[in-house]
Amino acid sequence: MVEKVRKLPKTFQYFKDEDAFAGGVAFCAGCPLELTLRVLSKVMGHETVIVGTPSCSAPVLYGQNVGAWHRLPYYSCLMTGVASSATGLSRYYRKAGKDVNVVCFTGDGCAADIGFQTLSGAAERGERFIYVCYENEGYMNTGIQRSSTTPFGATTTTTPVGSAGRGKTTHAKNLPMLMAMHNIPYAATATLSNIDDLSKKMQKAMEKKKEGLVYLHIFCPCPVGWGIESDMSIQVCRMAVKTNYFPLWEAEYGKFKLTTTVANPEPITKYVKMFRKFNHLGEKELAVIQEEVNQKYAFLKHLTEFGEHGIPAETPAGE
Amino acid sequence: MKAKQGELKVMTGNSAAAYGAMLCRPDVVASYPITPQTEVVEQLSRFHADGVLTAEMIEVEGENSAMNAVAAATLAGGRAFTATSSWGLVYMYDAVLQAAGFRAPVVMANVNRETPGILAVSSGQQDMIQTRDAGWIQVVVENSQEILDTIIMAFRLAEDYDIQLPVMVNYDGFYISYLAEGVRIPAREDVDQFLSVLKTQPQRTIMDPTRPIGAGSHGLMTEFMELRYKHCAAMDRAKKKFDEIDKDYGDFFGRSYGGQIEEYRTEDADFVILTSGSAVGTSRTVVDAKRAEGVKVGLIKLRMFRPFPQEKLIKAIKGKKAVGVIDRSVNFGWNCGPLYSELRALTPEIGNIPMLSFIDGLASIDITKPHIERVIDDIANAAKGKPYQAVTWIPLEERD
Amino acid sequence: MAVKKFSSKYEAAWSDADQLLLCLDTGTWRTKRPVVDKEKCTYCGLCAIYCPPQCMITRKDFFEPNLSFCKGCGICAKECPRAAIVMLPEGDFTS
Repeated sequence: MVEKVRKLPKTFQYFKDEDAFAGGVAFCAGCPLELTLRVLSKVMGHETVIVGTPSCSAPVLYGQNVGAWHRLPYYSCLMTGVASSATGLSRYYRKAGKDVNVVCFTGDGCAADIGFQTLSGAAERGERFIYVCYENEGYMNTGIQRSSTTPFGATTTTTPVGSAGRGKTTHAKNLPMLMAMHNIPYAATATLSNIDDLSKKMQKAMEKKKEGLVYLHIFCPCPVGWGIESDMSIQVCRMAVKTNYFPLWEAEYGKFKLTTTVANPEPITKYVKMFRKFNHLGEKELAVIQEEVNQKYAFLKHLTEFGEHGIPAETPAGE
Repeated sequence: MKAKQGELKVMTGNSAAAYGAMLCRPDVVASYPITPQTEVVEQLSRFHADGVLTAEMIEVEGENSAMNAVAAATLAGGRAFTATSSWGLVYMYDAVLQAAGFRAPVVMANVNRETPGILAVSSGQQDMIQTRDAGWIQVVVENSQEILDTIIMAFRLAEDYDIQLPVMVNYDGFYISYLAEGVRIPAREDVDQFLSVLKTQPQRTIMDPTRPIGAGSHGLMTEFMELRYKHCAAMDRAKKKFDEIDKDYGDFFGRSYGGQIEEYRTEDADFVILTSGSAVGTSRTVVDAKRAEGVKVGLIKLRMFRPFPQEKLIKAIKGKKAVGVIDRSVNFGWNCGPLYSELRALTPEIGNIPMLSFIDGLASIDITKPHIERVIDDIANAAKGKPYQAVTWIPLEERD
Repeated sequence: MAVKKFSSKYEAAWSDADQLLLCLDTGTWRTKRPVVDKEKCTYCGLCAIYCPPQCMITRKDFFEPNLSFCKGCGICAKECPRAAIVMLPEGDFTS
């Protein structure tokens, strides 16, 4: 008989409330979104107003007539209105003297494309709410179409592979970096394999939102859209971190810090081979992807060596 | 008890809109500039900077955000205001639909300006017409005093427990927005008192963060139809409610405007003109002049445009020999004016009398006294049974 | 008013979880189910942390899935550091 280790993972300590969601909700089997939302409701507590958008999360976040799938207050928007509606809500609650946690929960399609303007505006105005973007690299709810954060070479229904097409031809927008460049109080990347880190960042978000906009970018692979088995979700997250494809960092007012450093990053081929969406890629294209990963990481590393607002720490004032 | 007379100040229509909103103590104001509305948001910002207005001011990065922000704020329980015009109204259209569908009691000043297509930074009512089917209550006013008073009445109407609908207060850009007139500013305490009746009503549903209540549930099947039905029913109730509020306003502040419509010398008229906005002022003068010549003409000022004041118009026009409608916009697809085509829908109740459509005043072309004299002459001929032209584009025919 | 009876008291599209909390029987989605070897389980809790529907129930010194909601994704089996969970075909079980 193996000796019982009674101590549970540290993650359980981050949970201050029970799961706000009903036992059975309409997320695909193995969907990281389900895990993210349930963890969010446990870590942030039930006095959280979720602002949602048409997306994979909508069938669960939005009610059906008078019935709801969860016990959180929520406001359902169109994709163009997420950050702006959250602005109206948070401003009114603040005026009314109510301490309410307003959280936007959208995918990359909303955050990077159609809702980007309002997100950028809210960041610049210093609105006090948390914007959580789950990165599944495409418009998944409508059947896997490409967004501006879909990676180079990926197959989607709007960038399919055929005799003339070889997947997406442009590189992804670095959305979390863009948000950090707004100099907001807190911007961070996180994923589900490093769930302690994710929970800690969610808690920090609740503190930092008192100063202005907080942006959390959570890597959530889509089993259906990326072509992986439903049991591989967490493995994919782990590999994304191990290859530096998705480095875990945080930035407070433009001051960057890596929250996880990978000593010996794995080659990107190990990550790419996990999905059917990259099946068609040849040696040259894989080399392009590796180069992109290296460049992005080097740039990020460079930023962590600077002080606040990108000014090198060694430069004396007035010079 | 009556309200104080209030300070008299010379101000533009835009300024009057800002005053009206400020007096109602909104919690949230979203501002984005667009000609000819810009002064509204500038004045509101000055009020805020001077400590007169303690709202949360959100200088949004686009009109779409403006409407989303104010609609969300009202659903959270607050009072919210914004202003826009033409292209801004178009840009916020998805949020405008959202606000109506969610029954968010927003009040918005829309400074009428030409849309769509042909870029025109000039007056016209097409923007208001384009938004007819959004599900909002829409009213149109004639001068600066009416803007200020109607905005106060708009909050009273929008937030009424039996209504809960967003209200758009329209006024002609460039004509009323920039024209400076003397305006009586009610005292703030009096406006507080006028609106205080809302506090005696039951609390409308709001996003209470301590309750698992969600705004914007997916509507399915018959439950969806129920919500549409309730929306239409509320809009219908708004007609009578608007009349009541106008009367209360008159009793308290000493100024009332007739509610859904205002009738001017219509009781003994042989035929009438129907119009809205700044054209009404000019029409009044011409009607008086024609009356002095013995022409029995009357004028109906359309104030409430959505919901359409069917009952009042039927009562005012039934029995008359002819009616002409001056539109400051076009009805694409019916090749006539939009208010005219809506009035025509009441023919079974009004009776089969000549109805004439006059299209004028697009792109800040002035609707002048000679134009209205021509309108009256044409309707007079039709009333006598002479042949008449159904649709007249006045400035184009005048030019020929 | 022609319509007199309404199914909802709300004027607009509000949902109210106090009135009606919906729940899908996602347990019927499974084609495979996780089976926990109690002897191998060290109660580390990783399966409970990583389970997307968060349906792992604690049995004091081992975990087991709530079969009403387990979708059979297999993440618990994949993540278990002791290989104490196996995914077996749902057809093997009668219920």
